[in-house]
This record gives sequence, C-alpha cells and structure tokens, in this order.
Amino acid sequence: MAITERRGFRILKPAGNAAGQKRFVVAGLTPIMLYMIFFAILPMVWAVALGFFDYSPIRAGSGFLGLGGVNPFVGLDNYRAMFDDSQPARVFRMAVRNTAIFAALVLPINLLITLPLAAVVESVHDRFKRFFRAIYFMPTISSSVAVAVMWGYIFNPSQGLLNTLIKAVGLTPPKAWLTNPSAVYFGVPLAMIAVIIAYLWQDFGYNLVIFIAALQGIPSEIKDAAQVDGANAWQTFWKITVPLLKPTLLFVCVLTMLSSLQVFVIFDVMTNGGPRNQTTPLVMSIYENAFRYQNMGWAAAISMVLFIMILIITIIQFRFLRTDWEY
Amino acid sequence: MKSLRMILLILVIGSLMLVACGGDDAADTTDTGSSDTEVAAPAGEKVQLRLWSHQNAAFQEGNQAIIDKFMEENPNIEVTYETFEYDLFIQTLQTSMPAGTEADVLELFGTWVCSYAAGGRLLPMPKTVMSYEEAQQLFYQAPLDGYYCDGELYGLPQEFNLEVGGALMNPALFEAHGIAYPPEWNNFSEMIADAAQMSEYDGETMLRSGFNYVTSDGLGFALTAAILQQGASYFAEDGRHFNFESPESINAIQLLMDIAQKDNVVDPILFNDDSNWVGDSFFAGNVAIGFVGSWAAGEGLLNYPDMDFDYLQIPPYFGNENVFAADAGWGKVVSVNTKHPEEALKLAKFMAAEKANALVWNTSTATIPALKELVASPDELLAKAPFLESTFSLLPNGQYLGNLTDRDQLWYEIIYPHMLDAIQGNITAEEAAKNINTEANAMVDASQ
Repeated sequence: MAITERRGFRILKPAGNAAGQKRFVVAGLTPIMLYMIFFAILPMVWAVALGFFDYSPIRAGSGFLGLGGVNPFVGLDNYRAMFDDSQPARVFRMAVRNTAIFAALVLPINLLITLPLAAVVESVHDRFKRFFRAIYFMPTISSSVAVAVMWGYIFNPSQGLLNTLIKAVGLTPPKAWLTNPSAVYFGVPLAMIAVIIAYLWQDFGYNLVIFIAALQGIPSEIKDAAQVDGANAWQTFWKITVPLLKPTLLFVCVLTMLSSLQVFVIFDVMTNGGPRNQTTPLVMSIYENAFRYQNMGWAAAISMVLFIMILIITIIQFRFLRTDWEY
Repeated sequence: MKSLRMILLILVIGSLMLVACGGDDAADTTDTGSSDTEVAAPAGEKVQLRLWSHQNAAFQEGNQAIIDKFMEENPNIEVTYETFEYDLFIQTLQTSMPAGTEADVLELFGTWVCSYAAGGRLLPMPKTVMSYEEAQQLFYQAPLDGYYCDGELYGLPQEFNLEVGGALMNPALFEAHGIAYPPEWNNFSEMIADAAQMSEYDGETMLRSGFNYVTSDGLGFALTAAILQQGASYFAEDGRHFNFESPESINAIQLLMDIAQKDNVVDPILFNDDSNWVGDSFFAGNVAIGFVGSWAAGEGLLNYPDMDFDYLQIPPYFGNENVFAADAGWGKVVSVNTKHPEEALKLAKFMAAEKANALVWNTSTATIPALKELVASPDELLAKAPFLESTFSLLPNGQYLGNLTDRDQLWYEIIYPHMLDAIQGNITAEEAAKNINTEANAMVDASQ
C-alpha cells in the first residue's frame, strides 16, 4: 500500500491493479454470499413457494422437491383461508391480534421506562453509572426460559410472590394471572399483561444501555447553549436531547418492534398460548402449524403475513424517525 | 464480460450444490412404494442399519439392549442407534423425510403412523414378514389398528397407550380425610363424592384438587370414552365425519362440567393443561386423584421414588363397563427410503413381536405391552412396574380411536379449548358440543 496526501487527507491507495482488488473482493465476499444464498435466501424463497402449496413434509409429493401430487399447488387458497370461519383461521386472526397488542404495548412502555431512566442514570456520577448500568442490563443477558419460569412462579396464584404481596397489603389479587380467560382489562387479557410485564423486565436493559451511550454522545456544548438561552432542564431534555436522539430512537424502535413481533419463548414457557389462545403470538402459531400439525404450507403463508407486517411497520418507522443530519 | 462470467460461475456452483442436496430425491422415486430395492452389502461388509427414536433414558435403555441382542444374532448387520430430543425428533423426521435421509427403522407413535403411511413415507409390512391376521393374534386390537392403514400393516406396536380408565392415587390424602384405601367405588358418583371431600380451598383459591381431569389429553379421552359407554359413537354414519352433538355427547360434556362446577373437585382455571398440569400437581401433593395415562406413573417412579402413590382403575362414567377408545402407542416402523428393507423389517419385527424383546422394552419403559402374551404372564413386568397390574383387566375393553383425520388438531385445538370453556362455565354443554362438532367436521372437509 502506498500512502498519498490529497486535499489534506491521507488516502490508502491499492498497490496492485484494480483487477487484483476485484479478485480480492470476490474471494472475500463469495463464501459469505454463498452461505447467505443457501442458508438465508433459498429458505426464504422456499417459504414463499410453500405458501402456495398444501404441503406437509410427512407426504411424499410427486413433483420437484416434493411439491405437487399429494402436496398440491393451491394458489392463494392458504391466504384466502385466513379470512374463513374455520378454527385454524380464527386462531390465526387471534395470533395477529395478540402480536399487534403485544408489540403496540411493549414499544411505548419500553421507551417510557428506558428513555427517562437513561437520562437519570447518565446524570449520576460515573462510579454509580456503571453500577446501575450493570444492574439494569443483567436481565437482558438472562436466558428467556429462566426469566419466563421465574415470572411464572411470581404469578403463581397460590404460592406466587405477587399475590402474597397483594394479600399482605389487604387487597384481593386476581384469581389467576396466567390462566383465567375471563380476566380482561381494557380489552387486553390479564395473561397478556403478565407476559408483557415479564418481557419488559427482561428487555428494557438493552435499550437503556443504548440510550445511555447515545446520551453520552451528545456534545455538551449544545445543552450548554440551550441553558445559556434560558432553557430549563425539562426544556433541554425535551427540545434538545430527545430530537438529537432521533437516530438512536429509530434504531431502538425498529429493534424493539422487530423483537416484539417475533417473540416466542416467553409466551411458550409462561402461557403456552393460553388461556383460549389469548397469548398465542404469530411465531407460536407458525411453529405449532409447521411442526405440531405438519401444515407447512399454512405455516409458510402465516410467516409471509408476519414478514409483511414487519416490513410495513419498519418502513413506517423509518419514514417518521429518519433524520438527514448528524452532530 | 468478467462480471457475467463471475455470475455464471456462481450459478454453476449453486446448481451443483442444489443437485448434490437433491441427490436423494432421485433415489426417492426409485424406492417409493417398493420393497424390492434391496442393496446388497459388498461381500464381507456388514449391512448398515440406522434406528431413530426420541430421547428418553428408559426408552433408550430398552432399545439399546434389544439392538445389541439383534446384532449378536445377526452378525452381518450393524445397527446404529441415534436419538433426538423429542421436539427435535419430530422436526428431524419432517426435514429428513423429504430429503430421504431418515433412518431405516423409526420409533413412531401409533397415532401418527397412518398419516406418514398415507404420505408414502413408510414401507408396508409384506405378508411374508407378518400379516394383519397374524398380528391380530399377537397384539391388542387398539394399538395394532394404529399401524393398520388402508388394508396394509405399517410396522408393529410395542405399547398399549392407555390414557383413560385409570388414575394416580395419593393414599396419604385418602387416609388424612378418613376415606378407606384402597377405594372400592361402585360407580363414578362414589368416586366423585370422595374426591370432593379431598378438595381444599383457601377462600376462593383451590389449594388441592380432589380429582384433576382437566388436561388436553384427558378431556378428549374422557369425552370419547363417556360417549362409547352410553352405547353411542363419536363418528357420523359415514365413518369419516364426527357426531359430537348427539344426546350422549352432550350428557358426557355435562357430566364433566358438573363435577367441576357442582362437586367442586377441581378449579379448571387454576388446574388445567397450562397451570398445575395433572402430573406435576399430583406429584407436588396438590391432587388426590390425577386422571392421566399410566405412563405418568412410570415417570413418577423414576422422578419421585420417595412418594407413595398408586395407579388404580376408576369407575366408568356411565354404566358398568369401562369401554374406551385408545391411541396406538409407540412402536417400530420402516422407512420407505431404506436401502435394506428385508433387514429393517426383520429388526422391527424382532423388537416388537418377539416376546423376550418386547418384555425388555416394556420393562425398561414401564409401559403397558401391546403384545397380549406379556399380559398373560406379567410377573417380570410387574416386578418393575407394579402399577400396571390394575390396567390389565381394562385392555380388552379398548378399541382404537379410529381415523380422526388429524388427532392432534382434534384433541388440542378443538375438543380441549371448547371443553375447557364449558367446564370453566363460559358456555353450555350444548354450545360446546356444537362448536366441537362444527370444527371437527370442518377439519375433515378441509382435508378432503
């Protein structure tokens, strides 16, 4: 490599010719590209294709890759069936609703907790900052199964910590947090609320750390200037800090929404989708249909719906939170 | 031009890899449905067979012992035994079968066998190996019929899966409530009266259930058994659709509702499949009588060796005869993709139909034998699993569940949710019956 100076910048120039660089790029990128083609893109294409077939892996179809014959092409029937009055269609629609409720509640509550908390943690002395950051981040690195089991015990109706505390202060606890289908508050089943509490407990540390890092990256001169102009702490936070966090907010919103839409483990362990499918998310519905009932075509069609949901929501988030500036 | 060449190169590599991945599909077409594709091992080399099962220490111990014996008696055959964690086993079967890479011999649950057979994934058992008539002499009808699909026998059962007719009993709770043990109930009402006595509450919260029967498996089997005990059938006249709206079906649902709502033997909000599951709550001491398959007693012996419990018959819901419908239990089947069908079938038959080997398997797994002969002389089996004795007199009353189209969907997605709804008091017995009937028949129609 030769180093040259141009307009004050140091530029690394390849010593060899352009063809050599191309060969290097091809040699470096082809293996990972092939890996992505075979283990990401082809499975995705396969899933799209399966959505148009009544495919079950336990049936040996007669056509290419087992598609056709006893695994017939059904066109858009799997998608049309989602609007039927059949039991699988009702469970699917309920799963869409559950997933939407979960994501719609988790994202704002998570932001409401993490953003102010990050500002508070950021304002304390460095020694305490590290301590709080470590404490709040701990649940994030815990296994989801362990978290779900622990919260299952906390919500236990007879021996659970929560009901014991509620009784201790003289109140009447719910009969069952996770299994009573009649317990619905503001249209949200109690079991869903319980799972959201557990999920937020585990997940909020991740966003908190990201917000703390972003807050540390905001130049203090900007805040100082606002204060010189007479802004109080609230105005500084709301009119200076929050807008400057927009790129981070976009990142956090997209990631939180993605993980909320794809949530599975905590539901599987805490409620197994019950009571009466009130906590069955889309991913669980995909898993159950694919591997329990062997309706791979139907499951693939559901996965396409989830994909489209995620795509639309992500595009909307990008539109609303995109910024064209940096500091 | 160079870019084009590079793209072509990538496409060629990709195509080669696809061909390599799909190589076994070509083998599929030649093998499917035929048993004359025996690939002879080169002279001096052993025939290599693979056997797959799910992971369960007791099952693995039983299978391995029989495989070792098989290899001793057949030095020209080497069997590799591979196991998978239960969920992974199902997924591996589903992904390996289209690729044709599954094992030669598979341990399958009988209820799944006809689905796999109808999909062309299993090898039918030639009459020269064993005819259905011969099998009928050897095996109980209920487990055997799970392996008999469209006039062909696909593998052989090893287990009589009994989910109904018996229950786990906690003698200490009987004694604590002054109830004679072992119980001598003349009818179902007498058992429910004792169970009600053993139920305990703290205010509105049930602490102990006298009789916990609210499970996704239990409710389906209780419903079908209760219908059969009234002399009716849960099948419609065409034998393919269902009739869950008959007066007998509504009676059965009402009975199962009443014992929760009037007799208070269980709180179905606190005790169900997702909360305080019967096996867990029984061994935690929170259930006096736990309605669950006898296999749970086997697991209890392993996991709770210090707990004193029994597995006893419970009275029929209606009438005097404990008639019931049963799933076919675990057994051995042969993949249609095997390159050594003769040896694979020989191994399956060796494991399931030979008395000494079946004894090893049922003793290891503490399961009810599908082989009649073992029940006729059960001393060795009972020494390991004494709780099985109470189930033996039930076995002749069992019939196979029949072609339920999709047993798992019917049980877990249709019967259980609506029955639970009814038992929890959200809908009437008539509404539950109607919902079950409508959805079950829609499932049948959708499959046609």
